[in-house]
Amino acid sequence: MDETIAEFIKRTILKIPMNELTTILKAWDFLSENQLQTVNFRQRKESVVQHLIHLCEEKHASISDAAQLDIIYMQFHQHQKVWDVFQMSKGPGEDVDLFDMKQFKNSFKKILQRALKNVTVSFRETEENAVWIRIAWGTQYTKPNQYKPTYVVYYSQTPYAFTSSSMLRRNTPLLGQALTIASKHHQIVKMDLRSRYLDSLKAIVFKQYNQTFETHNSTTPLQERSLGLDINMDSRIIHENIVEKERVQRITQETFGDYPQPQLEFAQYKLETKFKSGLNGSILAEREEPLRCLIKFSSPHLLEALKSLAPAALVCRIQKLLCYSGSHSQGTQDPSSWQKDLYLLFVPLYPRC
Amino acid sequence: MEQANPLRPDGESKGGVLAHLERLETQVSRSHKQSEELQSVQAQEGALGTKIHKLRRLRDELRAAVRHRRASVKACIANVEPNQTVEINEQEALEEKLENVKAILQAYHFTGLSGKLTSRGVCVCISTAFEGNLLDSYFVDLVIQKPLRIHHHSVPVFIPLEEIAAKYLQTNIQHFLFSLCEYLNAYSGRKYQADRLQSDFAALLTGPLQRNPLCNLLSFTYKLDPGGQSFPFCARLLYKDLTATLPTDVTVTCQGVEVLSTSWEEQRASHETLFCTKPLHQVFASFTRKGEKLDMSLVS
Repeated sequence: MDETIAEFIKRTILKIPMNELTTILKAWDFLSENQLQTVNFRQRKESVVQHLIHLCEEKHASISDAAQLDIIYMQFHQHQKVWDVFQMSKGPGEDVDLFDMKQFKNSFKKILQRALKNVTVSFRETEENAVWIRIAWGTQYTKPNQYKPTYVVYYSQTPYAFTSSSMLRRNTPLLGQALTIASKHHQIVKMDLRSRYLDSLKAIVFKQYNQTFETHNSTTPLQERSLGLDINMDSRIIHENIVEKERVQRITQETFGDYPQPQLEFAQYKLETKFKSGLNGSILAEREEPLRCLIKFSSPHLLEALKSLAPAALVCRIQKLLCYSGSHSQGTQDPSSWQKDLYLLFVPLYPRC
Repeated sequence: MEQANPLRPDGESKGGVLAHLERLETQVSRSHKQSEELQSVQAQEGALGTKIHKLRRLRDELRAAVRHRRASVKACIANVEPNQTVEINEQEALEEKLENVKAILQAYHFTGLSGKLTSRGVCVCISTAFEGNLLDSYFVDLVIQKPLRIHHHSVPVFIPLEEIAAKYLQTNIQHFLFSLCEYLNAYSGRKYQADRLQSDFAALLTGPLQRNPLCNLLSFTYKLDPGGQSFPFCARLLYKDLTATLPTDVTVTCQGVEVLSTSWEEQRASHETLFCTKPLHQVFASFTRKGEKLDMSLVS
């Protein structure tokens, strides 16, 4: 076994926390049960790693086996990378998509290998019709750098692929091309969505974030949430503004629903607005061209934070800002519906602008 | 009483008259007393007697009143009972009707296309089925506004919902729903066939079943007699029509053999036709039956 491969496997295993080690090794399925049983996992980590490397050498691990281990590690630690979303599109009147995984893999690999002689491409299929692709980039003259790979998660028969933001930006067009051609699409566009949480990106892009539906079969009626004030308060005290609070609660629930929100960390809006001033003759108000601004919301969990804004009655100021804007997003022709939802949230809340 | 004898001697007669007077006096006072006592007793008797009369009268009155009340209450109950039973019957009938309607609404989803009105519009439920087996349900929540729009849905991402919506949602909602039903039912049917093949007939497959999310391209290798000498067949099924549960193109090849003998060629061709005309799991079921028949013929 090559020294570089051994070193690479060693560094990968060292990254894995001890409590996950057996799970990941089992998922890797490269070392047999018997071999794993000979390892004493209670030792110091260095000793365990040495033993495992020795076993891998016995089995002649190749670079593709090492790459598989790396993919599995990344699957367990998705949140360590920031993921971008790419959307592909077909021309009009295309044939039905008869996706063949083998064909896709061969095609993808061929395109990359034709362009760059030195590149390591590995695939790992998951149960949800997704394929994880790991690409270690090299050039015509240098070997692939195994320590800075790009990961792609492609959901077959959908136009969406998620890629880990890579430092090696120059390879992104090639990657896009390979994906597009291999999956029989025509165009690829990067969406304005980025997150550490693949699940949230999936939920937004596949519109899976709200899966509660009203049917006649459901026995639980629509729950009326109490405002949480009633229990502790004396029934003789009339809570002021209770009507208003209930209305806000109802609208928040209608817009956001009862389900856990996808985890977004920031949202960015481009805004064109004209300055409105009460005083006459303000320089800014007389300006012909609208002011162009960039509004950025950021939070560890943006949608939950917005959801709790409305009951806290802080929406009014933000809403006024957005109300004056003409378009709420530029750059993508069709703002994805979650952004529309975000915008629509503010307008009905306080219709008097 | 001793009669006073006036002819007694003086000594005796003196004592006799005074004593006699004394005796008469005590007699009078005694009789006075007695008559007084008698009077008071009589008065008491009289009072008690009247009291007894009064009480007796009262008792009779009360008895009469009780009897009267009982009679009137009975009459009341007799009057009221028919009213109450009528009310109860009406209420029960209404409740029964309500339960009936609720059950019908719940059962509606067996028709494949049902819905429930929501505050914004309607939530349509498409329940898919194949060969009499009820499969997954998918929901589309529509908001009834000027441009009719889909609020959210549970349709899988590879079903061309946006395309169908772009074509029909605004102009002909019925067509939209039926078209979506077609796609979803066909997808469910294909998925069902692939799942059944993987689970029930794994013994006949020599390798894993290759499938894609839409289940419109299936590729597998199989043997008619798993332990036997025959060559494995490779089948590749393409379902170009997404609204159909039967493949449009089938290619069956024999693995590892360049030229087939006529019997094998016939078998290969017949398999191709079978896959085109019957659902996948039924074809494999017929393979197992044929296999059993062959075994029987070998034994006999």
